[in-house]
Amino acid sequence: MLRKPLAFLKKDFLMEISYRFSFVLQFASIFFSVVLFYFVGQLLGEAPSVQRSISEYGGDYFSFVLIGIAFQNFLSVGLGSFSNNIRAEQMIGTLEAMLVSPTRLPTIVLSSSQWSFAFTSIRVGAYLLLGGLFFGVSFGGARVLPALTALVLTVVAFSSLGIISASFIMIFKKGDPIAWAISTSSTLLGGVYYPITILPDWLQIASYAFPITYALRAIRLSLLQGQGFSQVGGDLGALVIFSAITLPISLLIFRFAVRRAKRDGSLAYY
Amino acid sequence: MENTVIQTNKLTKQFIKWRGLSSPRHPFEKKIFTAVRDVNIEVRRGEIFGLLGPNGAGKTTLTKMMCTLILPSSGSATIAGYDLVRQQEKVKASIALVSSEERSFYWRLTGRQNLEFFAALRGISREKAARRIPEVLDQVGITEAANRRFQEYSTGMKQRLGLARGLLADPEIFFMDEPTKGLDPLATKHIHDFIRENLAARGKTVFLATHHLAEAEHVCDRVGIMYDGEMKAHGQVDELVGDFTLADYFHDIISESTVEH
Ligand SMILES: Nc1ncnc2c1ncn2[C@@H]1O[C@H](COP(=O)(O)OP(=O)(O)O)[C@@H](O)[C@H]1O
Ligand SMILES: [Mg+2]
Repeated sequence: MLRKPLAFLKKDFLMEISYRFSFVLQFASIFFSVVLFYFVGQLLGEAPSVQRSISEYGGDYFSFVLIGIAFQNFLSVGLGSFSNNIRAEQMIGTLEAMLVSPTRLPTIVLSSSQWSFAFTSIRVGAYLLLGGLFFGVSFGGARVLPALTALVLTVVAFSSLGIISASFIMIFKKGDPIAWAISTSSTLLGGVYYPITILPDWLQIASYAFPITYALRAIRLSLLQGQGFSQVGGDLGALVIFSAITLPISLLIFRFAVRRAKRDGSLAYY
Repeated sequence: MENTVIQTNKLTKQFIKWRGLSSPRHPFEKKIFTAVRDVNIEVRRGEIFGLLGPNGAGKTTLTKMMCTLILPSSGSATIAGYDLVRQQEKVKASIALVSSEERSFYWRLTGRQNLEFFAALRGISREKAARRIPEVLDQVGITEAANRRFQEYSTGMKQRLGLARGLLADPEIFFMDEPTKGLDPLATKHIHDFIRENLAARGKTVFLATHHLAEAEHVCDRVGIMYDGEMKAHGQVDELVGDFTLADYFHDIISESTVEH
C-alpha cells in the first residue's frame, strides 16, 4: 500500500540532496531570517504599544513573529506544492511515464508532494529550534497536542486550496491566479508579521475568511501560552469547517481537470 | 478472436483548437482538427506491427491513445482484452510504452535509481525489484552504467534504459514510438535485434510507430501505413508491396492522398 508513496519520498529526497548547495543554502537562509527578526524584535522590544497589541500571546514580538514566519511555510507548501510538483514532472517529462504505469493520478499528485511537506516540517522545526535554543524563545509551557492538531488541520485546509490550484495548472499550464491571491492576502491579513487587531475593522473581518488566521492563533496560543483544546477549540472548529467545505470541492475540480487534460491530450505539455 | 491482443474500432481523436489571439476578431471560435480518423487495427499475439507514416501523420496520438494517455473522441479499442476507456488500470498493467522521449527519466538520478522508482510505480514489490532490475539492465546491456547519473548517458544508453523500464514488469504488449530516433546505425541495429530476439521471440506483441521505411521493412511482420490521420493500407510487408519496394508504395499513397485534397 505504501510502496508507491515511499518510492516518491525516496526519489524526491535523492533529487533534493543531489543539489547539495541549495540544500545547505535553505538552512542558511532560515538562520539569517531568524537573526533578522531577532534584531527587529530587539528594536520593538520594550515598546508598550507593541507589547499591548500582542499581549494575548505573551507580549514578546520575536516569539510572535517566529511562529508566524515558520508556519507560513506550511501555507506556501500547501498552496503551491501540488501544482509546482505536477508542473515540474510535466516539465521534466516524467509525468507521462508515471501515467502509463498502473498508478492513479491522485496517488501521483499526493505522493509527489510528500517530500515538500516533510522538508517543510524539518525547516519549521529548524526555525523553532533556533529560536528556542539560541534566541531565548520559551516553549516551556507549550501544549504540543493542540498545536499539532491545528497544524494537521491547517495543512488539510491549505492543501485543498493547493489542489484547486493544481487543477488550474493541469489545464492552463500556468498563471494560476487563485494561489497567488490567497497567498498574498493570507500574508497581509492573516497575522503573520503583526496581530490582526492592528488592522482596520473591515480588514479584520476579512481576515476571518482565511484559514491562516485561525491556524496561527491556535498555534501561537498553544505553543507560547500553553493553552489547551478548550481555549483554541473555536479556531480548530473553524479550520474543520473550512476543510469540510473546500476539500470535497477541490477533489471534484481536480477530477474534472484530469479528464479535461486527457481529452485535450495535454497531460504532458507545459 | 483469442489471439488478437490489440483491436481498435473506428478509433478517432479530434483536438479542439481555439483560435485565440491569432484571430483577434473571433478568439473563441474553435477549429476541430482530426489527428486520428476511424482507425481499425488488429494485432495478433507475438506480432510486430509497424505503424508507418511521415511526421504529423498521427502516429504518436494513436499510440498514446492506446496507452490511455489521451482519451479517444470516438470509437473503441480493446488492449489485451480490456476496454481502453473503461478498464484503464488493467490496460496499463498489460502494456509498456517505450518512446524516444529522453525527458522521461530523472536526469539527476542514476539509471538504477530511476528503475527502482518506476518499478514501484508498476507495483513491483521491493524484493522482486531487487532481483528484476539487474536482470533487465543486463538484458539491455547497460549494467556497468547502472550507477551513473542518467544525465551522463549517451543517447543510445538512454534509449536502452527506456527499454529496460519497459521490461521491468514483463508486460504482454510493448508500444514503441520511434524507439531509434536519433540513434546511430549500430545502436539502431541493437534495438532492432532486441525487438526480434528478446521480445517477439518470447511471444511479446510489439506495436512500433516509425517514419523509417527500412525499420518497418526489416523489423515488422505487418505494417499499417498512416497518413493524415488515416490508415491508408495495412498488411504483410511483402503482400503490400508486391514487386515494388515499400518506399515506392509509400510514395504512391502519399501522393494519392495529396491529390485528393
Ligand atoms: N494535444 C494536441 N492538440 C492539438 N493538436 C495536436 C495535439 N497533439 C498532436 N496534435 C496534432 O496532431 C497531428 C498528429 O501529430 P502526431 O500524432 O504527433 O504525429 P506523428 O507522431 O505521426 O508525427 C499533428 O498535426 C499535431 O500538430
Ligand atoms: Mg510522433
